[in-house]
Amino acid sequence: MGKWKTLAKAAIELAAIVAKFICLYHVTDSYLFSPTIVSGPSMLPTLNMTGDVILAEYVSHRLGKVGPGDVVLVRSPENPRKTISKRIVGMEGDTVTYLVDPNFSLRSRTIMVPKGHVWIQGDNMYASKDSRHYGPIPYGLILGKVFCR
Amino acid sequence: MNFQQWSALMKEGFNVTSFVATYLCFLHVTNTYLFTHAWVYGPSMLPTFSVTGNLVLAERVSTRLGKVGRGDVVLIRSPQNPRKVVTKRLVGMEGDKITYVVDPKNSDRRETIVVPKGHVWIEGDNIYATSDSRKFGPVPYGLLHGRVFCKVSDLKSFMDCIFFSFLFFFL
Repeated sequence: MGKWKTLAKAAIELAAIVAKFICLYHVTDSYLFSPTIVSGPSMLPTLNMTGDVILAEYVSHRLGKVGPGDVVLVRSPENPRKTISKRIVGMEGDTVTYLVDPNFSLRSRTIMVPKGHVWIQGDNMYASKDSRHYGPIPYGLILGKVFCR
Repeated sequence: MNFQQWSALMKEGFNVTSFVATYLCFLHVTNTYLFTHAWVYGPSMLPTFSVTGNLVLAERVSTRLGKVGRGDVVLIRSPQNPRKVVTKRLVGMEGDKITYVVDPKNSDRRETIVVPKGHVWIEGDNIYATSDSRKFGPVPYGLLHGRVFCKVSDLKSFMDCIFFSFLFFFL
């Protein structure tokens, strides 16, 4: 009986250490920074088509410190389970002029970004589905800022 | 103070800090992934919630699993102010055709809209005094924060709350 007790106690201690480590890793992963793999043609030539490992940090967007020119990870407004990476072109209140469909014409439109929203575009305008397609996205969908490739 | 006393004090301080950190960590994980509390106030959800404020319990599992549906009261991050989390009722999921009264205080004009893919349509219960999807359009699903399952008005309702939440989770 005593043997089981000591064994159980050792197991619980080990489990506690593992749990604490996982906890710490998770906190870093969600709130500080984490590596992510991004792929797809929409951010050429900045990011590779077949896949790039990037470091994204999750502090700036909570402090409101993301701005135009930053590459950010956002939750896709069309598929909430997908995370996409694009560049912020305009913040709320900015006037954005963009080419509607550069594959077919040179027509451009100007729009003002509403309050609480941002305008995102992929670096590769010819093959990117972004705010030109689904409009300005709410700031709340920004997950993090990419700072390193 | 000699070195021994100092090192004992440091060890004690470290133990206490580590215990507090573990507790906060556990609290945070519960808040983010299981359920959380919120204080809702304002006229937009009358008569469900009162103007002066109600404490509600919201669970954060359904939103991640995609199990929220029409009729649920949800916590959602405001598309107009990303630091604010508002409470509204989910009226339409993606693909639904919604007919809504545009401005009930001034006219009876109605408009019909189809909720686009990946979005939801939210409305406050008190349509005369609420700023919701009728004003800012369908909201992306990714902004959903949690699903309210319980309103705490007094101790008896709190116990009912806990009881029903257990039924929900284990059945």
